[in-house]
Amino acid sequence: MSNKTDSNLYTILFAIAMVVVVGGLLAFTASALKPRINNNERLEKQQNILYAMGVNANDESSAIFVSTDEAPELFSKYITKQLVIQGKNVTEDKEAYLIDVKKEQTSAKAGNARRLPLFVGVKDGKTYYIAPIRGKGLWDAIWGYIALDKNMVVQGAYFDHKGETAGLGANIKQRFFMDDFIGEDLMNNGEFKGITVAKGNNDPKNIEKNDNEVDAIAGATITGDGVSAMLKSELKQYVSYFKTLK
Amino acid sequence: MEHLELFLKSIFIDNMVFSVFLGMCSYLAVSKKVSTAVGLGAAVIFVLAITVPLNWLLDQYLLQPGALAWLGDDYADYDLSFLSFIMFIATIATMVQLVEIVVEKFSPSLYNSLGIFLPLIAVNCAILGGSLFMQSREIPTLGLATVYGIGSGIGWFLAILAIAAIREKIRYSNVPPALRGLGITFIITGLMAIGFMSFGGMLTGGEEETTKEENTANVDESKENLEVKEVLANNIKVNE
Amino acid sequence: MGLLSKKDAALIKDPLADNNPITIQVLGICSALAITAELEAAIVMSVSVLFVLGIGNVVISLMRNIIPSKIRIIVQLIVVAALVIIVDQVLKAFAYELSKTLSVFVGLIITNCIIMGRFEAFALGNGAWRSFLDGIGNALGYGVILIIVAFFRELLGAGTLLGFKVLGDPIEKTGVYAFGYENNGFMIMPPMALIVVGIIIWVQRTRNKALIED
Repeated sequence: MSNKTDSNLYTILFAIAMVVVVGGLLAFTASALKPRINNNERLEKQQNILYAMGVNANDESSAIFVSTDEAPELFSKYITKQLVIQGKNVTEDKEAYLIDVKKEQTSAKAGNARRLPLFVGVKDGKTYYIAPIRGKGLWDAIWGYIALDKNMVVQGAYFDHKGETAGLGANIKQRFFMDDFIGEDLMNNGEFKGITVAKGNNDPKNIEKNDNEVDAIAGATITGDGVSAMLKSELKQYVSYFKTLK
Repeated sequence: MEHLELFLKSIFIDNMVFSVFLGMCSYLAVSKKVSTAVGLGAAVIFVLAITVPLNWLLDQYLLQPGALAWLGDDYADYDLSFLSFIMFIATIATMVQLVEIVVEKFSPSLYNSLGIFLPLIAVNCAILGGSLFMQSREIPTLGLATVYGIGSGIGWFLAILAIAAIREKIRYSNVPPALRGLGITFIITGLMAIGFMSFGGMLTGGEEETTKEENTANVDESKENLEVKEVLANNIKVNE
Repeated sequence: MGLLSKKDAALIKDPLADNNPITIQVLGICSALAITAELEAAIVMSVSVLFVLGIGNVVISLMRNIIPSKIRIIVQLIVVAALVIIVDQVLKAFAYELSKTLSVFVGLIITNCIIMGRFEAFALGNGAWRSFLDGIGNALGYGVILIIVAFFRELLGAGTLLGFKVLGDPIEKTGVYAFGYENNGFMIMPPMALIVVGIIIWVQRTRNKALIED
């Protein structure tokens, strides 16, 4: 037996068979499940956007989305307009929420004008402007949705991550962190300043709303810095649009 | 300059063992003697230096969304990134076994000193970690990827060399019997990692950097964006 | 243990203590450090490893006579990676919520050397049923250590267990915090995981002198 499995020919044939079988299996699962996965991702985006503008099923301390069954209906009910901002052009696009922020960032790096999606939602007579953001944490990508009013004061925030450390960086998607952003002003004396996730902040309960700072998570310095950086660099690009709202 | 910075960063600040805790298994298991530690460390540098750039090429021209654009516009929309784990692992395992076969053929003496470590390397998560970090941190050029691979390897080499030297000396100390060997190694590594956390503040500069950036906030958009990116890159440090 | 012979039962029992994958065999350390800041993550990881190691061991064991020895490492890695990726994709399609929780662990499972280590040390030389038991036993032994470490790190570092504030509220100063107790933030830093594992090894070897190294 050992003689047979040690020959070069057998090894090569085995390797080829292995590649074909595993490759085929992976390609099959990937393509067979693609529609379902895409659908799930689409629903998740709707849930995230709704979450940021306060349409959610939160209980006392944990963040809970509206159910996937209700999401499309609620999405079309609350989100009144989906805009794509490209330089000075603002166009409406019913599928703007499907714009891949990562792709836009890469193509902007290559010198193309970036398409910035912005979702306008109305709830209880109040208008929300929700922008997607994306950046880097310690291990991998982090992203989120920020709901603003027309003065760029945060009305709601949702963060998520791909692989931040459980119990540390992963806590950016916990209520206690996300809720800290509500009420924070992105502007300071008419200039865009962003929000910094700050250590050594003397305001752990986050009462001070005009300091452009929220309290950092202990042990998650880099993830926190990533959040600050993505808030700053991504939302800054919307400033000129918000100026036109006044 | 950029290369040197990344090089030093990957050795000290992003040290594979002390900062991101990758490759711990072989680090703990094969650090009883300095001579074997050096053998394994050298093998890790070698394999990282080959696989990180190789996987960079794979990532750029095969796996990333839109990476297949060089085949023509028809292929530009393909996204093979779900294959990246398996491709990276396959590259690593192939390289390791290739190296094993070549070394065995041409230098039996080196094979004898290195040989048993090579299969161990395939399961050393520092190697796969190197490639995955390269991907998630979006290292822009092949040159930088190579530098990153070599730097991470050297960082790992230094770590295992240091712990092996300590373990050789600690034999003369009066360690509680139950703690001898593995137990004390864990604790020493923990203490060393705490020491290495102080490197974290080196290149990030913390506060200073942010104020500098704020001052330029009104300068034109593109320059500002670049700067934010730089700050981001600098901020990828370690002590989480 | 009517179902299992004595020898088979030992396959499950040994890794739980005297041949523990983490404290004795030195396998799977990286993940033990990365995800033990929080009890919930440690439990999720343990269950995932149980699943992957149990099935992976059986697959490798069934293939053991046809795998060419020259490329066995690649074959083993590919089997694990393929298994994990397929499970990940299936979960993404049918149980999206669950997959969000697990996606963080995909990379950690593939690179977990406990899986490769058991393939190499056991599944390549034993039958399917015994390999399955070995996989389950080792995964349980791994899980036990993970959960102990996470228990202490979450309790002392954040004052919570599974997210519940068992020691009171640190900001409102209730519970034990009213007496001046403070969370030890250092416990949730990764270096402390190393030290906690070191202490577990110390306790274990004090109780069982046979495990003491020279």
